[in-house]
Amino acid sequence: MSYDRMEGTDMSSSQEAAIRLRFSRADGSLGRLGTEKLVERALAFSAASSGAAILFVIAFVFMKAYPLLARDGLAWLARADWDGAVMEAWWNPDFWRFGALPLLVGTFATTTGALMVAVPLGVGCAIILSEVAPPGLGRILATAVRLLSGVPSVIFGLVGLTVVVPFVQKTFITEELGLRYVDVPLDGQSLLAGSLVLAFMIIPFVVAVSADAMRSVPESYRFGGLALGMTKWRTIAKLVIPPALPGIVAGIVLATARGIGEAIAMAMVAGGLANIPHLDRGFVAFLEPVRTLASAIVENGEGMSVLQVESALFSLGATLLVVSVVTSILARAAFSRLRTKTGLATERAI
Amino acid sequence: MARLSFAHVRSRFWMAACWVSAAVVLAVCAGIVLAMAARGIGALEPSFFTTDPQPSFEESLAGGIRAPLAGSVILAVSGILAVFLPSLGAAIYLAEYMDEQKLGTRAIRLGLEVLAGVPSVVFGFWGLAVFSQPIFAFLSDSAGGDATSAFGRSFLVGALVMAVHILPFVVKVMEEAIRAVPRALREAGYALGLTKWRMIKRVVLPSAAPGIVTAIVLGLGLIVGDTAIVWLTVGGTMTMSGADAWWLPHNWLPVLKGTGSTLTTFIFYSSPAGEGNAPGKAYGAAFVLLALVVALNAFVAWIGRQRSIKAQ
Repeated sequence: MSYDRMEGTDMSSSQEAAIRLRFSRADGSLGRLGTEKLVERALAFSAASSGAAILFVIAFVFMKAYPLLARDGLAWLARADWDGAVMEAWWNPDFWRFGALPLLVGTFATTTGALMVAVPLGVGCAIILSEVAPPGLGRILATAVRLLSGVPSVIFGLVGLTVVVPFVQKTFITEELGLRYVDVPLDGQSLLAGSLVLAFMIIPFVVAVSADAMRSVPESYRFGGLALGMTKWRTIAKLVIPPALPGIVAGIVLATARGIGEAIAMAMVAGGLANIPHLDRGFVAFLEPVRTLASAIVENGEGMSVLQVESALFSLGATLLVVSVVTSILARAAFSRLRTKTGLATERAI
Repeated sequence: MARLSFAHVRSRFWMAACWVSAAVVLAVCAGIVLAMAARGIGALEPSFFTTDPQPSFEESLAGGIRAPLAGSVILAVSGILAVFLPSLGAAIYLAEYMDEQKLGTRAIRLGLEVLAGVPSVVFGFWGLAVFSQPIFAFLSDSAGGDATSAFGRSFLVGALVMAVHILPFVVKVMEEAIRAVPRALREAGYALGLTKWRMIKRVVLPSAAPGIVTAIVLGLGLIVGDTAIVWLTVGGTMTMSGADAWWLPHNWLPVLKGTGSTLTTFIFYSSPAGEGNAPGKAYGAAFVLLALVVALNAFVAWIGRQRSIKAQ
């Protein structure tokens, strides 16, 4: 809140005119008050254009996606043929039958898999960070989490490709398995490897936001619990986590958004095939390659020169945009719920 | 030993589970750093920093990271230059001038929040499409003099797209820094008869300077660490396409308008997933990149400590 508005220095226009007269210079150039107005306009312009940049992004992406959306509506989201369609579009200029279902399934599967690892580990880590760790250890842990969130995705991809993928291949994929399912390559680049790598990319979001939310729970709650003879865990589970829950949810939502949008690392470790894992094969489904919406934009990027492929890729981008807008709004709602529950202002940590 | 009640056993079990998850997070973080160090340090010879990448199937002939390292620096500096004034202006306006209750303020905040959630690959793709329009041909003239279309890939294009990508994060940190300036300082400024803008310029901005620097360093980290935008908008060439002798100062414009690589795209290209397939070089570059990111992180932490010492 600004100073003059708080102190009620609103002035009538005649007062303002009188001051303007006093401040403007004899040569008619801008006086100090003129400069004030000009500066305020310029600042307002940069704020408004920063806020409106997203509209420019959305408008352009949807404009480029329009040729496909106009011809196909949303049917391309439910069809299951991506790799073949992209190949076909290269030589057939009338071809518009894309099928992004495998990409949707791939995105959903890798993100869900990553959350199944990241949520328990992340919340556990946040409990240690905010409730039990002594200051020294807490600092080390916080540094590690911050470092993890700063590690570029391509390094996650590189480690995933040279450590996790060979591990998955050696541990789970036998020669017999490869011979039994010849329709998809089983080489370690898989849903499992993708989920594991993604899990550690999104953990920092869960940890940082959840720990912040738990710290914003008033100390008196904890004292009350301990005074009633509750164990440490019971105090945390019954008195700290419930008021912090919206914050934990917000962290999970942010982590989900990050997982859905990750392109490079998923292109490197999840396998380069738009494949729907065969659930009827049981655990083998986790060893099959998948491709996500975001990584398809990187991997099929050379198809930009073909109009239909360009439009299809922008349709994927539009899908990602819609998802990210929805998650942003969800996270916002969760944060404001946290604020009302803990009675304290907590800020987003990342 | 006294017998533990069920409640205590349960408590110990869950607390142990929490400790295990903290240990796993620590171990993975340490594992990544150690893996980079163990596999990357071997590549760090002086020639690794002084030669450009060479296309070769033989890893020992694949050259070094001179051009990608310079590319990272060029992109980071130009991206920050592009984002600095708009983000500072927006942050000042949001912190000092805006009325939180107004619809316009809420719309701007929502816009920035949504912008922060957009995946970087979408920005990269969007930038490629926007800057391929003929009117932006002056930003990337590597299309070969064809006036009807722009190539849409260059350091300048990459820097502008990066600026949009990092804008919400930079604005947020700057705004927090400006808001953290104590009220008493502002009141002292007004008491001396300063107008609002002069007060901001002379009192608020100097005291918020460390926070503004933090915002810039965080922005640098985001640019240096991003791969998707660079891969799509700076072009997939590993060396500078703008000029052969790109390090000569007078070649700055052709280099900025040309394509090139950064450490991240070099790693992507050299990893087993890319065409280069020289994992040793990829690890070397990854180690350098990680060291850069750690250094930027440490710098931010150091500024934070200086500030809290000052505040006491």
